[in-house]
Amino acid sequence: MKKTSIITIMAALLIALVGCDKIDPDNTLKPVNPTGGGDVEGGNKTVLIKDFTGARCVNCPAAAETAHALQHQLGEDRVFVMSVHAGGLAQPAGQFPDFLTEEGTAWYNNHDSNPLFSVDNVSLTDGNTLYVDQIDAPVAAALTEEQSFEIEPTVAFDETSRDLTVNVSLVSLVQQSGQFNVTVCLVEDNIIGWQITPEGINREYVFRNVFRGTLNGANGEMVSDGDLAPQAELSCSCTGTLSPDFNADECYVLAYVSGANGKILQTAMKKVK
Amino acid sequence: MRKHIFALTALALAFSLRASAQSFLENSQVNGSFQTDAQYYMLDKGIDINDLKGKQLGINGFGKIGYTNGNFSAGMRFEAFLPEMNGFRSELNGVGLANFFASYNNDFIGVTVGDIYDQFGCGFVFRTYEEWSLGMDNALRGVRVVLRPTKGVTIKGLYGRQRFYWAPYLERDFSSDDYRGIVRGADAEWDLNQSIASMNESKFRMSIGGSFVSKKQYDQSLFYYIPENVGAAAGRVNLGYGNWAFSTEYAYKINDPSAINNFIYKEGRALMSSLSYSQKGFGAVLQVKRVDNMSFKSMYTGKQNDLDINFIPPINYTHTHSLPSMYTYSTQPNGEMAAQLQVNYTIPKGTALGGKYGTKLAFNMSQVNDIVRDSVQFGDQMALNTPGSLGYISKFFAISDHRFFRDINFEIDKKINKDWHLTAQYINLYYDIETIEGHAGAPAVKANIGFLDVTYKINKRQSLRLELQGLWENEVHKGYEVDESEKKDFQKRGDWAFALLEYSINPHWSFSIADKWNYGNPVEEYRDHYFTGTISYIHDATRIMLSAGRQSEGVVCVGGVCRTVPASSGVTLTVSTAF
Repeated sequence: MKKTSIITIMAALLIALVGCDKIDPDNTLKPVNPTGGGDVEGGNKTVLIKDFTGARCVNCPAAAETAHALQHQLGEDRVFVMSVHAGGLAQPAGQFPDFLTEEGTAWYNNHDSNPLFSVDNVSLTDGNTLYVDQIDAPVAAALTEEQSFEIEPTVAFDETSRDLTVNVSLVSLVQQSGQFNVTVCLVEDNIIGWQITPEGINREYVFRNVFRGTLNGANGEMVSDGDLAPQAELSCSCTGTLSPDFNADECYVLAYVSGANGKILQTAMKKVK
Repeated sequence: MRKHIFALTALALAFSLRASAQSFLENSQVNGSFQTDAQYYMLDKGIDINDLKGKQLGINGFGKIGYTNGNFSAGMRFEAFLPEMNGFRSELNGVGLANFFASYNNDFIGVTVGDIYDQFGCGFVFRTYEEWSLGMDNALRGVRVVLRPTKGVTIKGLYGRQRFYWAPYLERDFSSDDYRGIVRGADAEWDLNQSIASMNESKFRMSIGGSFVSKKQYDQSLFYYIPENVGAAAGRVNLGYGNWAFSTEYAYKINDPSAINNFIYKEGRALMSSLSYSQKGFGAVLQVKRVDNMSFKSMYTGKQNDLDINFIPPINYTHTHSLPSMYTYSTQPNGEMAAQLQVNYTIPKGTALGGKYGTKLAFNMSQVNDIVRDSVQFGDQMALNTPGSLGYISKFFAISDHRFFRDINFEIDKKINKDWHLTAQYINLYYDIETIEGHAGAPAVKANIGFLDVTYKINKRQSLRLELQGLWENEVHKGYEVDESEKKDFQKRGDWAFALLEYSINPHWSFSIADKWNYGNPVEEYRDHYFTGTISYIHDATRIMLSAGRQSEGVVCVGGVCRTVPASSGVTLTVSTAF
């Protein structure tokens, strides 16, 4: 009888000993080379995460945090997050802000929930979108892809008229062919407004990286439709006027080049001021 | 001679086997139960059902067989969801042997192999159970050993993998969507009154217990270090003296980043205490509970009501009538502070208020608030609930102003004479529909609810029962302005009326008609009637129920765990039997 009890207690202690892995809270993020294949840390390939969100979406703040944590971890010069307010939970109501845009609604493509994500437009063009816990692998995979373009936006902003001119220069880095478009997005950071959170309505929520519209349409403008030799140079230019409601100090431009299937190949950002 | 010996031996053996088989059969007991729920769906433009989405019929069914022979028992449950009824998870779709077990138990040891249902303490660190009405089954398929080394002491150990709908139990691909970890646990309980001779008859009663449960799940995350072994421990004490009883349980869980807690690395804690007093005609219970980051699943990416290793007990009144149960609280494993007081008193027979049969009075109050969360340092900035961080810090006794739920109700139950019986209840309700049901931006339900349930016995066999119920919201009713984009969040809001008339012919037949009317919905198109007519027939343990009509959108909750039921229209058939 005693033996049995001792064995049982020993077994319970053994379970207890092997049963816990304590992670250091200052070291919860893994080194960046998660795919085990390509080099995530090297190279200059950039990735754009579109976060389809809404001010009345209770789960959106946490999802945005996750996306930004990923950006923080992988490098803010390599991963861009753009919050696109679209869908039923982004519709303006009462004191909740109106961040709807025609282009965002077009990209959202009649999906029925928030938060949803696309990585370099891939999931979006497949007719699916990703949940926040599904974006890490596609982001890692996208970072290891071969970089096919260099893209460099330059911005001229007239503070009096608030006119904005964006010139985008591109260099093809590989031999490639097909149709390539450039889309120029205007993004405003750090907007204070109402947002539903699990704790209730946060009346001073800080909206990060809010998509305010494009300067050249939801699908951008075509810059090439044919063969491109390595080092071939392309460019485009577009203009717009910054709304007086937007804080120019917090605005920046995200320009990306995409292929015929809509997949984004490279993204770059430039502050308006 | 040798032939005779063979013949005699064969005869003796045959008699012995027959006697043994006969004895075996005489000691055997077989029991079982069967149930089929079927719903035939119809289009009903009146309640906005314009598309059946390819599903005309949903059928959920099970058959359960149990066998006992002395210390041995075994059982199985066969399930069929062809396809599952609306409101149940689509992963249930399928048919097969969902559950089986074999068990041997004597005074010293009990061993079970197969699917195990068990609970440690109040369930803070371990509970597996099956709830048919929720489509929920988190059975642990594995082995359990129970030892009773001495009187009053019970030690349990178990090991296995949880049921995940129809997913296979043998995992070879750790990156598959249905990969879940292994659960192992141990529990010990010591009942001092049984163990210590001098306490056998004592008025003072005491038992103590402790549990430890661990899950082992491989780290599949590309970006976060996920703890592969997550342990949770709990300790409990039950005390009693005379009419008083006190029980408390405290649980602790180490870091367990998951999709439910937004991948934070904070530890989890839970405490529940209960103090009760009871004597003839009077009883009172006071309960308090604190839960902080205590979701514990064997799949860290899981978000639904499945693969829960533990159970957070609700401490709220369970309403059974239609309108009071429309807004049932669903426990919030990420954090809640709750308290409940229940008082029952029976006014004695023969008094002015008690009358000939006595009068039962009941008062209940329960409230649940959020816990307080403060930011923590994450990298070079302060962060609140940020993935990869510690998440937050929370003072143990601090209560947030954010109220999830409050229910104050008073009930009177009175048998007036041999023919008349009535029950009446008033409820004052606060229900944060945004947090509990996810209707973003929708104002909380603040409502007064009342019902009257009267039964009249026509004669020995026949009776009539009438239910009248009303739900009146304080803020959201006719005239409340709803933005076009928010309409869907107001589908069941505003004032309701409900009436039911039931005619029973005992012991077999029952006929009822009912109407539930959302007459005060702020959105005119939602001011619908939900008529139903029901016939049920009972014969021994067999029950057949056929109902036709509309079902309003709502939630079905059992033990604080809820599933959403979409609005539907059609015919429902339920057949159940047991032997």
